[in-house]
Amino acid sequence: MTDYISLPLIAFPLASSLILLMFVSNLTEEAKQKIGPTIRMASLIFSLVMLGLTTGMFFEYFGDFEGWEGINFNTFEFEERYLWIESLGIYWSVGLDALSFPMVWLTTFLLPVTIIATWHEKSAATYFPLLLMMGGALIGVFVALDLFMFYVFWELTLIPMFFLILKWGGDDRKYASQKFFIYTFSASVVMLLGLITLYFLQDTTSPLNYSGSMTSRTFDIPTIIDASMIANTDGWFLGESVQKILFVMLMLGFLVKLPSVPFHTWLPDAHVQAPTGGSMLLAGVMLKMGAYGMFRLPFSLFPHAMQSFQLLLMIFGMVSLVWGAVVCLGQTNLKKMVAYSSVSHMGVILIGVATMQPLGWAAALFMMFAHGIISPMLFAVCGAFKHHYHSMEIGAMRGMAKHSPWLATSMMFAWMASLGLPLLAGFVAEVMMFIALWYFIVAEGWSIWWMAGPLVVLVVTAAYYLWSMQRTIFEGGDETQPPASMDGHAIPDITNAEKFAMIVLAVFTILFGILPWIALDMMSDWTHQIFDSVVLPILGGFEGGA
Amino acid sequence: MSGASTKVMQPFDEGFVEAFAPEMTLFIGLLVLIIVPNLGDGKFRLPLTNIRLPWFFGGKRHSFERDPRLPGLLASVFASVAFLLTLLSFVGGMHSIEVESASGHDLLTVNEFSRLFELIFFGAISLACISSMNRLTPHASDDRTANGLFNNRRQADFYILLMTTAIGMSIVALAQDLFFLFIGLELASFSTYILVSFLKETKEGTEAGMKYFIVGSVASGVGLYGLSLLYLWSGSLQFVDLSTKFASDGLDALPLVALGLILVGFGFKVSAAPFHFAAPDAYAGSMSPIAGVLATASKAMGMVGLIRILLVLASPDMSDEGTVWLVAMGVFSVVTMTWGNLAALGSTNPKRMLAYSSVAHAGYMLAAITAVGAWNWDSTLSGDAAEAATMVLTALMFHMVVLVCFKLGAFLVISILESEGGGHTLESLGGLAKREPFLAVTMFIFMLSLAGVPPLAGFMSKLLVIMGIVKVAAGDIGAALASGESISFSDIHWVWYLALAMVINSAISVYYYLRIGIVMFFHDAPTGKTLLPQGNSVRLAIIACLTLTLYFGVASDGLIEVCQSAAESLQASWQN
Repeated sequence: MTDYISLPLIAFPLASSLILLMFVSNLTEEAKQKIGPTIRMASLIFSLVMLGLTTGMFFEYFGDFEGWEGINFNTFEFEERYLWIESLGIYWSVGLDALSFPMVWLTTFLLPVTIIATWHEKSAATYFPLLLMMGGALIGVFVALDLFMFYVFWELTLIPMFFLILKWGGDDRKYASQKFFIYTFSASVVMLLGLITLYFLQDTTSPLNYSGSMTSRTFDIPTIIDASMIANTDGWFLGESVQKILFVMLMLGFLVKLPSVPFHTWLPDAHVQAPTGGSMLLAGVMLKMGAYGMFRLPFSLFPHAMQSFQLLLMIFGMVSLVWGAVVCLGQTNLKKMVAYSSVSHMGVILIGVATMQPLGWAAALFMMFAHGIISPMLFAVCGAFKHHYHSMEIGAMRGMAKHSPWLATSMMFAWMASLGLPLLAGFVAEVMMFIALWYFIVAEGWSIWWMAGPLVVLVVTAAYYLWSMQRTIFEGGDETQPPASMDGHAIPDITNAEKFAMIVLAVFTILFGILPWIALDMMSDWTHQIFDSVVLPILGGFEGGA
Repeated sequence: MSGASTKVMQPFDEGFVEAFAPEMTLFIGLLVLIIVPNLGDGKFRLPLTNIRLPWFFGGKRHSFERDPRLPGLLASVFASVAFLLTLLSFVGGMHSIEVESASGHDLLTVNEFSRLFELIFFGAISLACISSMNRLTPHASDDRTANGLFNNRRQADFYILLMTTAIGMSIVALAQDLFFLFIGLELASFSTYILVSFLKETKEGTEAGMKYFIVGSVASGVGLYGLSLLYLWSGSLQFVDLSTKFASDGLDALPLVALGLILVGFGFKVSAAPFHFAAPDAYAGSMSPIAGVLATASKAMGMVGLIRILLVLASPDMSDEGTVWLVAMGVFSVVTMTWGNLAALGSTNPKRMLAYSSVAHAGYMLAAITAVGAWNWDSTLSGDAAEAATMVLTALMFHMVVLVCFKLGAFLVISILESEGGGHTLESLGGLAKREPFLAVTMFIFMLSLAGVPPLAGFMSKLLVIMGIVKVAAGDIGAALASGESISFSDIHWVWYLALAMVINSAISVYYYLRIGIVMFFHDAPTGKTLLPQGNSVRLAIIACLTLTLYFGVASDGLIEVCQSAAESLQASWQN
């Protein structure tokens, strides 16, 4: 079978960006200026080719398989495996299922959109290769079927993002980039220790698939999950305390990345300081690595532990949801408000996850996808705002609708999509989460007050979005002067490239709002698969859920 | 063992010279370095006659000796040849050789283990030689600063000392006898004492030399006292005899005290807390290539000592209360790594920072040694003992090999700054990305590698060490689980917490490594500094380090296998 993933989707963007960066670093400033547009165009073409490939995969044009629905849990399409480090049982092992494919498509979709939206970014010659590298590393995380490979790409995503924030970021970028790097790195080394402990708790009495010659254990994710599924049916895989501790160690890495509330403090700093393109990829895909990782590892491996931490997860989700929204109300910085709204939306994912039902999980998966399209648009609007008005303060610019209709419309659309307007993608996910939570509360006999959080947030979200729109788009106008930061220059509307990016994002937001089944069908199918094979055997009876 | 049988021979038997070709090369290099700079047209007058015989020494020197870089060139060639010969001995399977005295005592052993360490020593020394060549201007008269003048005059001394360091270290790696071990250790130590204080005209150089010498000689003295106690107890200096004696009655008070004293001696060499106090001063006051050798080769030498003494000698399969040193080692390692990292957070001198990071790395290595000790000394651990020990030793050796790439590499980058008078403050690194982007990116890669970020060699080494520790901690719990036993987390051996301490520490360490990157990329260059000092040989050495850092990060399988065979060869020698 042809390998559609390793070379075109991972190695190609990584290698080409490295080569471009090496080539560029030897040039003088003028030569860099000169070659910038060429590199930008090349990056766009690379990313469009990748998008074409994943779109072809979606339409089942590439590969030989039965369709994205009906892939059994823990089996993968486009699976390829090459020996990497023999002595430790490490393979370059890639594959796609209905969990990872939407994320991969999302990454390849956002890459060209980000490139277009930030078409006029300075130092183009190094900026666009870094975006490409980011894309390659992100795809690597989503397709990895080997713990080692997963971890390597997980950490690799930090490096281009670190540089994106550090080189193109705002005034406080040094602090923000270091905080971002150290915070997420610290959490993921704990995760690494968890993964290694898991590795050495494998049973070597019977030969394992793909095991290392020195350790006779394997890093292969499907093999480990197979073993865990068998063990979990009659008792706790690895024993109760070990399972719980490993669950906590893995979840720490993923919750920080997501981020959930007690671990979210890196996000507002990173987002506010990051350049538009960095924010778009950070919010669009990088945060989803956390949720993706949860489904791929701890939930698949440790359903018992998940069940025992269900209440905690629910609390984390609720607090993220409510706290994120409430903090938004107090923000005067547009980008910080959007960043906290991301925290709030990630709370939705956690709540969906904590319901432990197929519907809630499908809601979480769809939220990952929908937020992955909407939040880049939010940040693109913020970026355009900053670019045109040289300020990020809400209210620094008023009456935008009068002189910048395009920006005002994009902002309104994005804000509406994010607060969950029906017929837009975010609404589908939120409604699903509501239903799943309701089902769950009724079936498990939890207090009805758990519904209070989401209800309050509905109001609060509408409040902070409408409030900020009112202050920037509608209020004022003719009678207000342009902000002092404009130095008396005329106020332009957004550029054509930005318009185009906004339109593309808006079209897909509408598309997945009206026809959510395009992505939702495969997600819902996958959640049923994982539910039937992992959760159902341990529950001993299933109440609620769809 | 990799199949090849061990050949036993006496010194200068047939095949001896071939077997010790790398060491012989270094010895010849040492002689050449002593002789060549003294060649001249001096004549020797036979007493009571007027006949003058050409004597070749002294007198008017030949023109080719005038280039002050000559000793550096010679030393680089000989050290590199020794390195390549060592590397060659790995090709096609190692021929193990044991050298005995006439009375049948083991003297030296050549096997994968000792050769791998020689690879580390010779590699580090040859990189130091190559990169030190650039400290001088081609014409002695160009550099009129005090340091420059003195450097010119002392070139031969510098490289002679590097050669003796290499020879001493290789003796430590080969030794099968406490006496040999100590001789090699002292030869290398004394050479490094002088090398550290080589810039004796500067305040820092004198201070560094004094501190390093005093603390070092006290540590050696204490270690030597420990060795003599071992002799008192067993009546033999031979590893083989000591090992048998330990197996029978190793829990006497005498050998345990001796072990503690030896731990002090080697603890200084690996710069483990609390014996590390001289290290930051020594690194900061010596020249960067020398500091790099101290942080890599000298530390590896200390590790050989620790492995030999703790694991080979004192590793009987005793299943009783032999855990006395085990807990001490565990505490020792955690204290060392935490102390190193916390101290590095606060240091603004990049060389001191690297010194403290080297203390932290010593802590990681001690944690690995503790894990092997845990398998040896703690009866609650089960599982395939040899396999676990192999894993940890492999990790340890992998760590020390790749440390040469990125630790020494980082010191070499600083050495370029040092030759323009910087390198002692964080600010002197400022603007490096604008002045020479390649060096800045390289330095940043070294820093990320030290922090353990994939896909670099430093990540692989840290991963292997953690894996080794976790493997020992897990024992064969996996099999027990599969057979249906219920396991709780407390069944995992406590050395697991050493791995936890390691990951927490590497998270702390990211801060100071990233800070270097930020300074290089985003701070302004020191005023008046634009182009960096030229020097192709040091850049060549840096490129070599960079290439290996990247290569061993992505394709580490080959090196892991070499380290594994080295670990197995060590075990083969201690289990019979």
